Amino acid sequence: MPTGFFTDTTLCIGCKACEVACKQWNQLPSDGYNFTGMSYDNTVQLDASTWRHVAFVERPAPVSEQPVNSFSWLMLSDVCKHCNRAGCLENCPTGAIIRTEFDSVFVQPDICNGCGYCVVGCPFGVIDRNPTDGLAWKCTLCYDRQKAHMEPACAKACPTDSIQFGEIADLRTKAAARIEQLHGQGVSAAYLYGADEASQPGTEGLNAFFLLVDRPETYNLPPNPVAPAKRAGPSWASMAVTSLGLLAAAFGAVASVRGGRR
Amino acid sequence: MAECHPVGFQWVMEAKRRGAKIIHVDPRFTRTSAVADLHVPIRAGSDIAFLGGIVRHILETGRYFHDYVVTFTNAPAIITDEFRDTEDLDGLFSGWDSDKNQYDPKSWAYEGVEPGQSGTTHEQSTGEPLSERAQMQHKHRDETLQHPRCVFQILKRHYSRYTPEMVEETCGVPQDLFLQVAETLIQNSGRERTSAFCYAVGWTQHSVGAQYIRTATIIQQLLGNMGRPGGGILALRGHASIQGSTDIPTLYNLLPGYLAMPKAKKDVNFAKYLENNHAKGGWWTEFPKYIVSLLKAWYGEHATRENDWCYDYLPLLTGDHSHMTTYAAMADGLVKGYFIVGENPVVGSMNGGFQRAAMRKLEWLVVRDFQLIETAEFWKSSPENERGEVSSEDVQTEVFFFPAAAHTEKDGTFTNTQRLLQWHHQAVEPPGDCRSDLDFVYDLGQRLKALYLSSNDPKDLAIQNLTWDAKTSDDVLREINGWTVADRAPVEGYTKLKDDGSTACGCWIYSGCYKDGVNQTARRKPASEQDWVAAEWAWSWPMNRRILYNRASADAEGRPWSDRKRYVWWDDAHHKWTGFDVPDIIADRPPSYRPAEDANGLDTIGGTDAFMMNADGKSWIFAPKGLQDGPLPTHYEPQESVMRNPIYGQQCDPSRMEWRRRENPYHKAWADPAYPYLITTYRLTEHHTAGGMSRWLQWLAELQPEMFCEVSPEIAAEKGLHNGGWATISTARAVIEARVLVTERIKPLRIRGRLLHQIGLPYHWGSKGLVRGDSANELIAFVGDPNVSIQESKAFTANIEPGRRGRGRGPIAGTQEGESGQWRDQPPARFKKPGKHGVVTARNISGEET
Amino acid sequence: MSATGITYYDRPVLKEPVWIWTVPAYIFVGGVAGAAMTLGLAVELIGGSRLRAFDERCRWIGAVGGGIGSALLIADLGRKSRFFAMLRVLRPSSPMSIGSWVLATATPLSAGSALLTLQRDGVLRAAGQLAGASAGILGMPLATYTAVLLGNSAVPLWLITRNTMPLLFGASSAASLGSVFDLMRLNREEQSIATRFQLVGRVAELAAAEAVERQACSNERVGRPLREGVSGAIWQAAKVLNVASLVLTIMPGNSKMRRRIAGVCGILGGIAVRFAIFHAGKASTRDPRATFEQQR
Repeated sequence: MPTGFFTDTTLCIGCKACEVACKQWNQLPSDGYNFTGMSYDNTVQLDASTWRHVAFVERPAPVSEQPVNSFSWLMLSDVCKHCNRAGCLENCPTGAIIRTEFDSVFVQPDICNGCGYCVVGCPFGVIDRNPTDGLAWKCTLCYDRQKAHMEPACAKACPTDSIQFGEIADLRTKAAARIEQLHGQGVSAAYLYGADEASQPGTEGLNAFFLLVDRPETYNLPPNPVAPAKRAGPSWASMAVTSLGLLAAAFGAVASVRGGRR
Repeated sequence: MAECHPVGFQWVMEAKRRGAKIIHVDPRFTRTSAVADLHVPIRAGSDIAFLGGIVRHILETGRYFHDYVVTFTNAPAIITDEFRDTEDLDGLFSGWDSDKNQYDPKSWAYEGVEPGQSGTTHEQSTGEPLSERAQMQHKHRDETLQHPRCVFQILKRHYSRYTPEMVEETCGVPQDLFLQVAETLIQNSGRERTSAFCYAVGWTQHSVGAQYIRTATIIQQLLGNMGRPGGGILALRGHASIQGSTDIPTLYNLLPGYLAMPKAKKDVNFAKYLENNHAKGGWWTEFPKYIVSLLKAWYGEHATRENDWCYDYLPLLTGDHSHMTTYAAMADGLVKGYFIVGENPVVGSMNGGFQRAAMRKLEWLVVRDFQLIETAEFWKSSPENERGEVSSEDVQTEVFFFPAAAHTEKDGTFTNTQRLLQWHHQAVEPPGDCRSDLDFVYDLGQRLKALYLSSNDPKDLAIQNLTWDAKTSDDVLREINGWTVADRAPVEGYTKLKDDGSTACGCWIYSGCYKDGVNQTARRKPASEQDWVAAEWAWSWPMNRRILYNRASADAEGRPWSDRKRYVWWDDAHHKWTGFDVPDIIADRPPSYRPAEDANGLDTIGGTDAFMMNADGKSWIFAPKGLQDGPLPTHYEPQESVMRNPIYGQQCDPSRMEWRRRENPYHKAWADPAYPYLITTYRLTEHHTAGGMSRWLQWLAELQPEMFCEVSPEIAAEKGLHNGGWATISTARAVIEARVLVTERIKPLRIRGRLLHQIGLPYHWGSKGLVRGDSANELIAFVGDPNVSIQESKAFTANIEPGRRGRGRGPIAGTQEGESGQWRDQPPARFKKPGKHGVVTARNISGEET
Repeated sequence: MSATGITYYDRPVLKEPVWIWTVPAYIFVGGVAGAAMTLGLAVELIGGSRLRAFDERCRWIGAVGGGIGSALLIADLGRKSRFFAMLRVLRPSSPMSIGSWVLATATPLSAGSALLTLQRDGVLRAAGQLAGASAGILGMPLATYTAVLLGNSAVPLWLITRNTMPLLFGASSAASLGSVFDLMRLNREEQSIATRFQLVGRVAELAAAEAVERQACSNERVGRPLREGVSGAIWQAAKVLNVASLVLTIMPGNSKMRRRIAGVCGILGGIAVRFAIFHAGKASTRDPRATFEQQR
């Protein structure tokens, strides 16, 4: 039964309980102590040792159609998208990255040999290689907790239910209802990001999808992410043509010399 | 609230989901503002003007909840004709004694009521002013609210000049925004709808802090929001169990359950104590039962009627023992030793430099904490040590550090901001030498008892006769609940307590938490299995009542104000009160009951006396007694402000506490040219108070790794500050440095055509831990609210310059040698004498008798 | 909200490739090895007995190149001890999986065939020839798959040039092989074959480089690293070196020195092409606007 996250950014209060719960459950190391000056975001990005990251965007524009405040502070808890077409999984040569019974994308740390091909395969810039142990790491959608019939640590910790966990079909229904509610309240900018294949054909939909109120770029999300293998066809074709060209050149070179000397 | 109470804030989000409007008033646009419907930027320190403006608007437009006001508040009460308002005396009330620098509240009393001996003068701040309120029943009322000296008319006159224009000038809130708030609030109050206020230390930590809350209560009384579902005022406390620490107090001036601490010279024996705290009417008439039961709990079989229940063992207050007063006394060498348990005052309290100087005079110091916090290492890790002014070899204090167990390593309860006691179970054993505070104190008591065992000195009976067998948290909770002495059976609540020595109870308001021998605080029935009041989740005091004063949710006849807001009501058929919650009125007291002239005790509580903790059973819009700085909240500027008080000549709260000493220099009262910016301090979600629980934890430390200041782009341009760069902030007390975060969230306010800049400082950092930084509170002076001696950390002045601070020796910028206060341009406020700490020295503060 | 220029504090969206210098080095070495195997196939099938030594030389270049290449790749792994996991599965969607299998089979096949052709005749020799032929077939993907590998990613520059890069890498492999031969002592016949093979490769390489650059710069921001910075400089250097190699090769005359210099230029040029593409790709991941604009 496919499960995943629906992260509703209009409910996020930027408390970062998700970041801490994730780190604590997975015993991940800290990423260093650096003041970035990027609003309240000192974590900066998802990487091998940060699997939930809260982004903060201050903007001189209101959220809703009734601009009582001409200012808004957008917050988003970013996470691995567990794409239906996952670039990292399709690139992984060792088969370390698998699709679990929950439809999540999971890196088996005892198989990964740190080749780094998943890193360039992810159009969201999520997965990364840990320089200390050389392996690739990312959100597991709390595979271990799910196996024990528990919800992921971040969803459990989130006090406002901005992070909702459940069966994808249910989440999609809830998300659609929420969009309708927000539109009714004058938040016409609200939309779903990656909720299904139709709206994000490049990944064929995400198992961790979002409700946003601004363009994806504002949150450092790609506007049109594509799993690389989906459009690799022409590249392979080009390789085939080149191969034949190599062969022709080789035979041509030999034949022309041999032929002259017969 | 989202920043400091994210878990509690989920209920605000739930309310929002159901259509509630969220209004956020704060100098900064915070994470709360991000999800609020309306953010109102306000000048830090001007909330009374804002709230007073709302009061005026309600009265002006006549949209107060008339029936509620007449039935449940003292609005109809008539005040003595000696009363003079701030409108008459340019910011002072009648009764100001400029020699003693305090008020005599005689002229605030109800007409025809003698204030009583305990109410005339007070040498000490008293916290829950039982003695002050106990006598106040009003005899003369005008239910038409027209009498010129009735509270309602006095109120109207008092706030008559708090117009929208005045609000804009004082608070920097544009008039249309202010009116939008007022209208939203008014339209959402009344029979069919209620509104709630939530506040935290942004209101309390001012030299006039208690009055901020008072103004909110006046609004809520006028709008009929108290005691009603969805209404009320939620006081968000500073941490998980600070409500518990006032209920079973760690405060010097209270006994458990807000009983008055006896005072030397006044409560010289038990009879006097009872007399001085005797209530003429209302629920406090039950008070003797609570004090006797408390003494029985403490002294067991030794406490008998013959020896006044061992009352004479209790220590008596000789003065003000509040935090800042004690530290000032410490600096004068009057305190020998000190326990600091679970706090970090050199970071979290004011003027750290002064506090450390004081601690260097201690002979011994005991610190209990998880980490070696800055206070534990004040003798070697401090700005003074760093600058080379103090060397650790010169500090004579003997410091004992005891590692403490965390809340997951011990059983116990938290009492949260809703008066909810929730038991938490020990999950793991404390590591190494860590032990809980209970273990420590229990062990300490055992050893003290052993030491004093063989003494024949009568004063040592106080230790020898103390019952000391509550070893586990469960034991303690049972004692708090109380039992009948004969069989140790738990009492079911405070209504079963007696004043004849047959019951013992550690804290009367908590009585019932172990009802039927079941730990009620450990109940965890999920909300999905209960009704919307969910009374079977944990236990709230008193008596598991969830909304206090809920009698006010029904009208004079006991019918709910509306069907939509029904909560408790009178069931005539069964002759009792009933409803969704435990009714906050005597169960079988009909709404029509009126007490006889000569009624005593609980018979004095009438059927419409919802606010029975006041002697007159009414909520007090006008407080004839109990507050040191006036019966009605008045806008005063903070001790250090950027402007003159626009409303009155009286600049600051006249009764505030000051400490005029070399170590505690004050800036000019307004527009000090050396310190032109208004500063406010606050918390961040990622850290916890003075940092002991977060700066040592990597996963929290990395979220906010460095001390920073928040400045507007306008100040940044003016002063040359760069986002991500450094700034130095200075006051006469200290100089600190911080990283710079330039943000539009802390907009300058337009007041009288000029831009008023505010700068924000989180206060979590100190010299130790995984992440370190300068402490914001070093900048702030000792100034105190007169009622509860709380510090003023939310509005003060400072200067800011780009770049890092210097590191070398030398005087701190701004400190001046010589006479303290010579540059302060206001007359000194009252200096409260510290209580004696049992130390006899050659120096006395004054030759005064105690 | 304005459409252009919105980023999250100028932070990159994507993760920079974690690969080190051994990867572009492998692309070069592997390319040469693959081209050698392919040439060896042609030599074996139609070269005749006089070119047997040349055949063997090709196979050795293939085997040694494959060996060095494997070592270079293993050096880049995060967990080197688990290099064998590359052959744990065959994942067709992953060019790296395909390529690992190609490299892992072609290299021993090439080595085996080189050894076995010491045998004059018999079963072993037949086996050696079969091995050599197989390696020859595998040599073609070996020389070209790395371009597909790079293009099968989110890296903006590689993604945008994914259709022209295989041409570039394949052609460059042939040209680089020729340049390697320029540093060896060959007889006239062998020399001719090598030179013709090289020239076809070199011309194709220069044309393909143009095509790659044009495709990259169809989006100004994405193509910027090929025009600016360190990667831009290396790309320019590659052009210069390859043109020099071409000119020196087609100049009349038999000077050994000229041959050597042409060879060195060609080898450096081939290496430079790989490194330029590699670093330009990395640089393009650092620019969030490149990613956003490419997708919009």
